[in-house]
Amino acid sequence: MGLRSTRWSVIAIVSALALTVGACGGDDDDGGSAAQDGENAAPLKIGASLPLTGEFSEPGKAAQQGYEVWAAMVNEAGGLLGRQVELVIKDDASNQNTVVSDYNALISGDKVDLLLGTFSSLLNLPASAVAERNKMIYIEPAGGNPDIFNRGFKTIFFAQQATADHQGDVWANWIVELPEDQRPKTAAYPTLDDPFTTPTSEGIEAILKEGGIETVYRETYTADTTNFDSIANAVKSKDPDLVVAGTQFEDGIGFMRALQKVKFTPDWLYQTNAPSFGDQYAEGIGVENTEGVFYAVSHSQEASTPGNEEFVAKYQEMFGEETVPEDAADAFAAGEVLQATVEANKTVERADQLKLADWLRENEVETILGPLSWDETGAPQGEYLIGQWQSGTPEIVLPEEAATTDSIVMGYKPGGGN
Amino acid sequence: MTQFVQTLILGLLIGGVYALLASGLTLIFGVMRVINIAHGSFLILAAFLTYSIWTAIDLDPLLTILLTTPVMFAFGWLLYLVAVRRIRGAHMSSSVLLTFAIALVLEGVMGLVWGNTSHSVRPQYFNESFTIGDVFLPKAQVYGFAVAAIVLGSLYLILTRTWLGRAIRASAVNPQGAALVGVSVSGVAALTFAVGVAAAGAGGSIVSVLYPFLPGSHYQWIARLLSIVVLGGLGSIQGATIGALILGVAEAATVTYISPSWATAVPYVVIFVVLLVRPQGLMGSRLREDVAPA
Repeated sequence: MGLRSTRWSVIAIVSALALTVGACGGDDDDGGSAAQDGENAAPLKIGASLPLTGEFSEPGKAAQQGYEVWAAMVNEAGGLLGRQVELVIKDDASNQNTVVSDYNALISGDKVDLLLGTFSSLLNLPASAVAERNKMIYIEPAGGNPDIFNRGFKTIFFAQQATADHQGDVWANWIVELPEDQRPKTAAYPTLDDPFTTPTSEGIEAILKEGGIETVYRETYTADTTNFDSIANAVKSKDPDLVVAGTQFEDGIGFMRALQKVKFTPDWLYQTNAPSFGDQYAEGIGVENTEGVFYAVSHSQEASTPGNEEFVAKYQEMFGEETVPEDAADAFAAGEVLQATVEANKTVERADQLKLADWLRENEVETILGPLSWDETGAPQGEYLIGQWQSGTPEIVLPEEAATTDSIVMGYKPGGGN
Repeated sequence: MTQFVQTLILGLLIGGVYALLASGLTLIFGVMRVINIAHGSFLILAAFLTYSIWTAIDLDPLLTILLTTPVMFAFGWLLYLVAVRRIRGAHMSSSVLLTFAIALVLEGVMGLVWGNTSHSVRPQYFNESFTIGDVFLPKAQVYGFAVAAIVLGSLYLILTRTWLGRAIRASAVNPQGAALVGVSVSGVAALTFAVGVAAAGAGGSIVSVLYPFLPGSHYQWIARLLSIVVLGGLGSIQGATIGALILGVAEAATVTYISPSWATAVPYVVIFVVLLVRPQGLMGSRLREDVAPA
């Protein structure tokens, strides 16, 4: 019995370890399949670890698509510095420890020439430290937590318009400038404990407070929260005019459904991240319940930015979906930023990567998100677009010059609106 | 006062669903001494099956229980024959490793079949509530609670009123004695495992209506379910039911009166307190190993 149980324990341990390793570190380098099409030069290996499974799998998958579209378009145009791009993408299972192992493995095991970032501040915080230690340039498509940029790193750059604490600035300023009779008086801030959502929510609260809008509820919930009914009920008990829900995707759907169940409709509703997922958001909460939801967004399919039309068309061709997820566009933009500095400096050598970083600090790069520029820390210096769900469609409403519609729905009007 | 009643109702409603989810886990442990880490993944698998049936033929997700339960029963039976049977008699830790491996494999398979994206089942009542005075009762939770009560009641009747139930309980209490009076303990184990997985099947259909889910969601469930089982007493379905209701109310009260950020700590606090104060749980009995000198 003892011997038998020992034998099975060993088999079970080995099997489980094998499966864990397989699940956590599974390579998925299909992005580079087009690399060997007759080019003489060795392919340029670009590595990234993405949350393809686990909590962030939704945006992780979108980011992978964005990278794949970028690689495909670069390769079709002759490659980067004449070399075909081969993506080496690993799955970090939304885990901070795994993402560190993955980037170490990409650098020392796969010996990639360049890196691209992962999704979310939570994972970019540790991953960017690996890149910094190895003096490799690290363009992240997401990860706007301001703390990422106060560590004195020289190699990190965020390929969106602004850091998380400024994501809602445009909207919050618009709210406080509303006429007195329309302006909300009180606000609630239920927020996921996350390095992206928390500073975003706090940034908005700072502006609204300054504008005289009183905070009646601010609570944080953890990432493994599944039941939002009690949270929605607690928000309802404070009866705020405006709710700023600091959410990622899963919890964002859960919270919105709970609001409907507790029969609470705030006059105004702003939500981070989840509403930018297009059809998946509408499917999750019911399209009729999206009317009037505000959110910040980095990309618009209709934008006339350089290369955007081609990107959208290529995405639709490759993945057969009409709506391009924002995270796919951000990942594509990260690729564009990397491409710009590599082409300007004509090198991908490890020893030259600090030069690639220096160039980005001094230059502006045209991307599908618009022109991006960075300060000394790698933090971007622009402004986000503000989106709003209108009649089942996500529209850009602010700033006016980028708006895709003339009208703004004045408030949150679920169930078809009244 | 309304706030208190509301909190209590929300906690009890979700606690009832938790009870169904945990019942299979505690049943399997009671008879087989198998700590089934894969239980959460069985839930999510059933949720995905519900999603597929709901999208294909628009059958109410709670009615799909009539389909998911037998499918999951068969799946559980097969899994027992292929994998779990081989660790019968081995140390409990082997069952943890084996079932963790099963959970990982299932997560991967679900990712391949349905994709690693969030899915939601939205019957017409998913966001509606009954209202009594100032108190609201979310319809999905009420229906989920009712279905959980029916399934748990049936499980209780099977265990107490049928020969099979008596054989299961006899095997749980004293396998050697059960074998002596003609019970096929290994056959009962297979049935128990299948029934436990079928209960997860019914629970998964309810979960699919209450929450969005993706293949990795099973991690969120297993810690909570284990804490319910520890609180109730490993192996006791009545204990798991009481433990689930307590945990549901404790979570809701924590969110309302302390902070949502502490709500997910509740299951771990429960485990901590139970281990300190009453290691066998509310309704559990001490095993011979528990009183053996260290």
